[in-house]
Amino acid sequence: MNRLWCVFFSVAAILAVVFFAIGPSMGWWFPGAAASPLGQQIDDLFYLILAITGVTFIGVHLALGYILWKFGAVPGKKSHYQHGSHLLEVVWSIVPAGILLFIALYQMDVWAAYRMKSRFDQEALSNPVAEVTARQFEWRIRYPAPGKVLQDTPQSDDLYTVNDLHTPAGKPVVIKLRSDDVLHSFFLPHLRVKQDAVPGLVIPVWFEANEPKVYDLVCAELCGWGHYKMRGQLTAQTQGDFDAYLEQLKQSQNDDGYREAAAE
Amino acid sequence: MRSSSLSLSLCGLTLLLAGCGQPPEPKFSLNAKTAALTPAAQQLVSEALVENFGTPNNLVAWQELPIDYGKGSPTAAEAHRQADGWRLKEGRDLYMVHCLHCHGVAGDGNGTTARFLNPRPRDYRQGKYKFKSTAGGNRPTHDDLMRILEEGIAGTYMPSFALLGKDQLGLLVDYVRWLSMRGEIEEGLAIELAQVGLKTADLERTVREQRTEDKSVTLDTVRDELLAEVKASWSDTVAEKAKDVVDFWNEANNAENLVMPVAKRVVADAESIARGRALYLSKENKCSDCHGPAGRGDGPQTEQFSAIDGASPARNYDEPGLRDAWGNIIMPRNLTRGVYRFGRRPLDIYRRVHQGINGTPMPGFGKTLKDEQIWDIVNYVLSIPYQDGTAPAPEGVAGGETVPETASR
Repeated sequence: MNRLWCVFFSVAAILAVVFFAIGPSMGWWFPGAAASPLGQQIDDLFYLILAITGVTFIGVHLALGYILWKFGAVPGKKSHYQHGSHLLEVVWSIVPAGILLFIALYQMDVWAAYRMKSRFDQEALSNPVAEVTARQFEWRIRYPAPGKVLQDTPQSDDLYTVNDLHTPAGKPVVIKLRSDDVLHSFFLPHLRVKQDAVPGLVIPVWFEANEPKVYDLVCAELCGWGHYKMRGQLTAQTQGDFDAYLEQLKQSQNDDGYREAAAE
Repeated sequence: MRSSSLSLSLCGLTLLLAGCGQPPEPKFSLNAKTAALTPAAQQLVSEALVENFGTPNNLVAWQELPIDYGKGSPTAAEAHRQADGWRLKEGRDLYMVHCLHCHGVAGDGNGTTARFLNPRPRDYRQGKYKFKSTAGGNRPTHDDLMRILEEGIAGTYMPSFALLGKDQLGLLVDYVRWLSMRGEIEEGLAIELAQVGLKTADLERTVREQRTEDKSVTLDTVRDELLAEVKASWSDTVAEKAKDVVDFWNEANNAENLVMPVAKRVVADAESIARGRALYLSKENKCSDCHGPAGRGDGPQTEQFSAIDGASPARNYDEPGLRDAWGNIIMPRNLTRGVYRFGRRPLDIYRRVHQGINGTPMPGFGKTLKDEQIWDIVNYVLSIPYQDGTAPAPEGVAGGETVPETASR
């Protein structure tokens, strides 16, 4: 009976890791494949950490199983008390510390690409595609007029929409993220982009959608009772379609309602 | 040991089951005007409503109303779409998910989250809507309500529901129109019965008066007498009220009621903006009385005491401020912020100036101003957020501020 537990503890770890490993292909793991180059790098980091912790997990459980098997199940044998081993303490402090240090250094490049303005695509940073203002419970979007650069304050020819953010696909774009009221979080799950919107701050966020497609945009910070309905979408388009979209937005926003037929 | 842990887990199980009981059945709340009636009269109104509209869980598709309830199709994939009235039911289900918690089951603008909101959610039951393309007090068109759902109302808690898609939004619009018609018919019937003298307070007074002459009079005799009179023609009364309401809603689709400019927008150059500003500040139009000389929504009228609508004897609210038709304090729009509730298209601002805003003190200028003048005002209003509010007033406008006729207290 006791031996059964030894096998159980050894196999449980292996089973757990197997499930994690086949997870991605079964669609259990991420919300679909990463839809942006940076997203792929972030996923790779996840898998690296999964591999390291997976190997450790299996090793620890195999050791546990072995020790239970070897020492736990001999009737009549007396336990031997040991105060501790200095060498062992040092080893199991230094090895994990080394692993942590490795991860900390290894991920810095991705982190910098994601967060540091100096590593942003400078052209996209100097010409943000839109300002996205989160408010309870929707995303209000302000585009500069076609051919103009987004200003910090609203301009008379700005274009406005709500909940449907259009951007060009296939190149890095920057949005300026703000909040009107409380903390929100701008989350594009397929692009692996998540950034808190903080009242009083204007935060540049960059992302690059691989292909023209509609992606989910959700709020990832519990922002009040209507948090669940704060759903939007990112419509990544070809540059031509995006320009046409802005043009059409401009037409409808400047509509004065005057129709030739109505004037008769 | 074993028995104590058993009783403990039994306790936990009981608590768990008690917490997961059936939610209370949703109910259409009574209009305050109905609630003021004597119970027998309330019942009369309730019965008429249940007969023609049903209850939230058991809707009735009344064919008198101009609403597409959805014709059942035997080949429909979803079972519930095979029966007639499926659009109403689907609309209700969507309403319960997305709208109910602010606008309430009956559309009374009094859902559970409503009390945290300012401005308050709309009470649909008067058929009174602020944001629409139709003239004066007309009902909104189907498209107007669609637009509200798609765009949300900037500057309020009404968010955009654009991602639900046109089909679902169409169902919601029809359900809201249906709730609105239901509310209007209820209110009409309640007013009818109140006029006969069936309000609890009126009835008690009548009985007191009559008893000074005839001691045999009781509340029951007076009430039954009045009720008998009403009941004789009750079905006609209900049909009449319904017809009135249906006419109102049909009238909204009458092309003549759609507000459209007859003149093209004047080019928004400095001259037009200056003309618009002069009109805005003029003693005739008095825009600045409410919206303030600089457009900050802080005009002198915001500090006046408004009269309580329909109060007799006439009296004012204790708190100063402009009031809307629902009795809430309402601030004139701060035009420097560039937030426009029903859209920022020139057409939208034109309609606000031309027709005013239904249910608020904002008057319409369509009768007194020419289209070109309205466009000047529109151009000025749209320029306010982007210009220096401290610039001197145009010539001929003394001080740039009109003085209200009644000095504030």
